[in-house]
Amino acid sequence: MPTKVGLEFVDRAREIAKDIVTGDAAKLPGMRECDVRVEIGVGKGAVSENGNVKRAGEDYGFSLGVHALAGNGTLASGYAGKQLGTADTDRFHAVVREAIETAHARAVASASAKRRVQGRFGALGKSIASLEWAPVRIDQKTIPATYHIDPQSVSLAKVQEATLEASRLVSGLESSIVYNVVGASTSVIRELFVGSEGIDIDNTYAQTEAIVFVVARGPSGNLEFYDSLGHQRGWEILESGVRSGPIQDPGLLDFARQLGNDATQTAAAPPMKTTDGPVTVVVDPHFAALVAHEIIGHPSELDRALKYETAYAGRSWFLKRPGEDMRGKQVGSPKLTAFSDPTIEGFGHYLYDHEGTPAKRAYHIRNGVYEEFVNNRQTAALFGVEPNGSCRATDATFVPLIRMSNTTIAPGSDDPARIMKEVDHGYYISGHRIPSIAESRENFRISAMKVYEIRNGELGQLYRDGGVMADTKDFFMSIDAVGTDWRLYAVPNCGKGQPMQAKRMSNGGPTIRGRAVVTGASA
Amino acid sequence: MKPVQDLERAAEAGLQRVKAQEDVEEAEVFVSQNGTLLTRLNYTSHIPSNGVEEPKSVENLGVGVRAVFRGAHGRTNGFGSESSDISLAAIDEALRKAREGAVADPDFVSLPRPRPAELPSLAEYHDERLMNISAGDLVEAGWRTVEGALDVFESSEELLGLASGDRARLADLGLILGGDVTMLQERMAIASTSMPKAQSDQSTLVMSFITAMIESQAAKGGGCVVGTDLETNFSEAGRQAARGAIASVGGRRVTDGDYDVVFGPQAITDIFHHLVIPGLNLELFYAGATPFLGKFGQQIAAKGLQVYDEGADRGLAASKRITCEGLPTGRTELINDGMLIGLLSNDYEFQRILRDKNAPQKLGTDPAQHQLALAPRNGFRFGRGGGRHFDAPPGVSATNVVIGHANGETREDLIGKVRNGLYIGRIWYTYPVNGFSTGDFTCTVIGDSFIIRDGKLAEPIRPNTLRINHNTHKVLQNVIGVTAQRQGTILWAADQIVYAPEVAVRAVRFTEIAGYMETV
Repeated sequence: MPTKVGLEFVDRAREIAKDIVTGDAAKLPGMRECDVRVEIGVGKGAVSENGNVKRAGEDYGFSLGVHALAGNGTLASGYAGKQLGTADTDRFHAVVREAIETAHARAVASASAKRRVQGRFGALGKSIASLEWAPVRIDQKTIPATYHIDPQSVSLAKVQEATLEASRLVSGLESSIVYNVVGASTSVIRELFVGSEGIDIDNTYAQTEAIVFVVARGPSGNLEFYDSLGHQRGWEILESGVRSGPIQDPGLLDFARQLGNDATQTAAAPPMKTTDGPVTVVVDPHFAALVAHEIIGHPSELDRALKYETAYAGRSWFLKRPGEDMRGKQVGSPKLTAFSDPTIEGFGHYLYDHEGTPAKRAYHIRNGVYEEFVNNRQTAALFGVEPNGSCRATDATFVPLIRMSNTTIAPGSDDPARIMKEVDHGYYISGHRIPSIAESRENFRISAMKVYEIRNGELGQLYRDGGVMADTKDFFMSIDAVGTDWRLYAVPNCGKGQPMQAKRMSNGGPTIRGRAVVTGASA
Repeated sequence: MKPVQDLERAAEAGLQRVKAQEDVEEAEVFVSQNGTLLTRLNYTSHIPSNGVEEPKSVENLGVGVRAVFRGAHGRTNGFGSESSDISLAAIDEALRKAREGAVADPDFVSLPRPRPAELPSLAEYHDERLMNISAGDLVEAGWRTVEGALDVFESSEELLGLASGDRARLADLGLILGGDVTMLQERMAIASTSMPKAQSDQSTLVMSFITAMIESQAAKGGGCVVGTDLETNFSEAGRQAARGAIASVGGRRVTDGDYDVVFGPQAITDIFHHLVIPGLNLELFYAGATPFLGKFGQQIAAKGLQVYDEGADRGLAASKRITCEGLPTGRTELINDGMLIGLLSNDYEFQRILRDKNAPQKLGTDPAQHQLALAPRNGFRFGRGGGRHFDAPPGVSATNVVIGHANGETREDLIGKVRNGLYIGRIWYTYPVNGFSTGDFTCTVIGDSFIIRDGKLAEPIRPNTLRINHNTHKVLQNVIGVTAQRQGTILWAADQIVYAPEVAVRAVRFTEIAGYMETV
């Protein structure tokens, strides 16, 4: 019988991968650099719907990825990813070797084609280049997971019971709730990165999360709300919540109750009507989190800025063309500061990225001035900057991409209560829902869970189907108050790449006041 | 890739093993092997680039077991899987996981049972060469697409004019090419206690989705090709995108207002993929989260509009022989003459809606009277950019969505009918911004778009300067014309292919955006 897959198999995988990457792989013709990633996760999850358990399961995930940079004079890269299983444990050496050979063959074939195309096109062939990977510090590290209740110690029955109880609670809140789903999972994941230059990172973390989806009936029709909890911690986060710095999450039951109550209350409200022009808006930290994600984090990814994502996730207005970017320029009010920091606690935490680069904080905007993109080794070399450790994949089968981590608008110095009190007339935008952002993130429309009218500094009428629409720079420049109430929220499903990779991260911000069009229903 | 016969034998042997267990009442064994092979393209004339980023693949093989168990707590059902192995040891492991995770789902009736009169019609429709593609062929597919676009850019008199007649300065225009060539290799077999014997399927799919830009001119064009074999003309997607970008040079802004519009195939695909097709999924009716709640059998679109899902047509690229539930694929009429007459479903949803006491309110009719219209022809285990995945139970996915009209017209007819309005060729981030139920949506116009003046295409519209804020119901109800000609169109991260025509729609609301970008 082959060795069963468990977290401990990474110890063996580490020795095998190091042996091949620094041995046989280095001897392949034209191989410049090569890295092997292995990921094993063990976890369990359950889903309940309308007060009945629908699915439950306990399983492992085991994936392998090899990235090679090779060529004869001209360099190109190749990648091979494979989902593995118990059957692969005793033949792991051969599996890794085969993946390296596949990635290498693709890199060499692409390098050869690159040379041909460079030669075929005159002026237009000149930009086709051998892009190198910027050097990074060579570290060897083993990083343990942090949790109070080990996900592996939690029974599947307990996970089922948690979703069942939350789903029953939501079903029983109000007769206007017509449907709900509650899902929860808890896992431990161990990632290995072994590079041909000697980088050797063994990172283990816990991952516990839940999602609640509610449909409520109202006089203007049904309304769907969904939201997530998540953290790199154990089962305790769903049992009793998290109270740690900017992460202030309730446990699953309170979270589900709140979302159910919000859905019923909002479904009963009248639809918002779009304002004639920009008005004063006060956005809460949950809404600010999606602003940080969509219109600061995404356009700060250097692959987008350098046009790699033109066909998919779009470009970035922070970089128009080489030599013409927003670094050092005012893109927002001096009150606005935003950063990505994988080293702080959050759903997007890590100390080394999936290229083995040490993680660090990158200030995108400081006091309204644009400062830094997040990058990977290739784009850092191309852009002439240091790699800042921002390259991550959903699992080892996928090529790592430049991703946000814990990306947030920084807290300010204004009292959140005063931010509202100072408004004679405006709107309070509470809870993010669904975004639609322009291609270079230069304009956005994001819907809110709830929109309240503010009159004389007090909350008034609640509206459904409302949100905010603005040109990005105008909105950033209009910010005149930033609260002290900084919060970080889990975002479980940020999509990027082809094939699409859904990535977990944290986004956050404080209460913010600015000016924007408040959008309403279009029906 | 393993021969499909190996998968079939593994499914059959696995079923014998599972059904021999004392506590197993019903069982299904699903075996699959998938390869997603991809070259991502990134060419920039003004920034050093690789041209083709890493050629790559994601591969998987394994078994999934669904089983119904008899036990002390009554009847339960569960699902388990094992990766990278299709032996009996893997079956045992998947069964163990299914048993441990089994739940008493009150909505579960039985595993899918074939209807006697329905048989699969497709056979031998895959490309064996693509199943065994070499590193060189994969890489060449990507580079041929890049070359297709560069050929168009290099030979363009318009671009040469913009470069002051100096070919050496073409690169300064900021030419961008992005996108991918994706190849899917899919093999699956299924055996079930509800079926007389194991069945199998193998399919290949090729898709190329390309965007080209002349960035200094804010001009953008898109191209795509779909096919099922290596003979697919990849480079055409690159050429199409480059031609589109050149045609978009000199784009103008358009002011706020309601405009009559001709939507191009990509824009129609975007609207259907993000807004309409999800709303025609039986699961969303059950949840009360579709914009078409209670409207089965009613007029939801302009008369003449037809929409169907066709899973079994050899000529359409996303066709399959059988679903991932082992049932025959086929045509599901969704909208006919503007009436909602069918929904996409899998066996679980089909059986559940028939027993749901609230179904008449959710659908607007008694589902028992419409069983053929709700038949489970779309139970697939798609996801992760392609493949039929052994480690997931079946969901509901469309295959080839075909949009048409009883009286298809020419493009010229449609543009003439609109007379003064907008041609919107490509939109982006088309989301149901206030939730599916409301039908409200928003998106931005990102390329291949033109002003329509006096019944003809006039100046291009500058990309990223217009946002649509509108409603799905209004789009469907205000259709005033549809072309007879359709184009197979794909979108980023979409599972289905939409065969989309150009569609004229009255009074679509637009908002001008991002004026500041002219001076940034």
